[in-house]
Amino acid sequence: MAELGETGEAELQCLVEAEQQKAHHFIELCWDKCVEKPGNRLDSRTENCLSSCVDRFIDTTLAITSGLPG
Amino acid sequence: MDSSSSSSAAGLGSVDPQLQHFIEVETQKQRFQQLVHQMTELCWEKCMEKPGPKLDSRTEACFVNCVERFIDTSQFILNRLEQTQKSKPVFSESLSD
Repeated sequence: MAELGETGEAELQCLVEAEQQKAHHFIELCWDKCVEKPGNRLDSRTENCLSSCVDRFIDTTLAITSGLPG
Repeated sequence: MDSSSSSSAAGLGSVDPQLQHFIEVETQKQRFQQLVHQMTELCWEKCMEKPGPKLDSRTEACFVNCVERFIDTSQFILNRLEQTQKSKPVFSESLSD
């Protein structure tokens, strides 16, 4: 891995943590929408919901970002 | 200022390794506690109906499922995100500006 120096490493650390928080946020949102009562395993209906959830959330973000004026 | 052995605690290039280790352990403990707190809340919401005189076995079983399903869900979504990022890099680009 290329030498990043202290500043580079700090920035990378920030990026990694930001990505982790984004993912964390996804997980909570989609858990809320897709899991009603936790069962013995993730059934296919729940998995489909989770997949759709991720995709639709991304679509939503893009739609809102591109819909903003300016 | 020269940085000692590559440290993950960025910006602390020449910190005493013992202190650095302590910080890493404490950070991990903190993350774990945050996770416990978050799961307690989520599973309370999903499993607890009207709080009664004690925790019945049905609620307890629900808690067990809840923790396990939450871990499954996290894994599932992380995998999904990874796939999506590979095929549609547009997402992270549009958000990182």
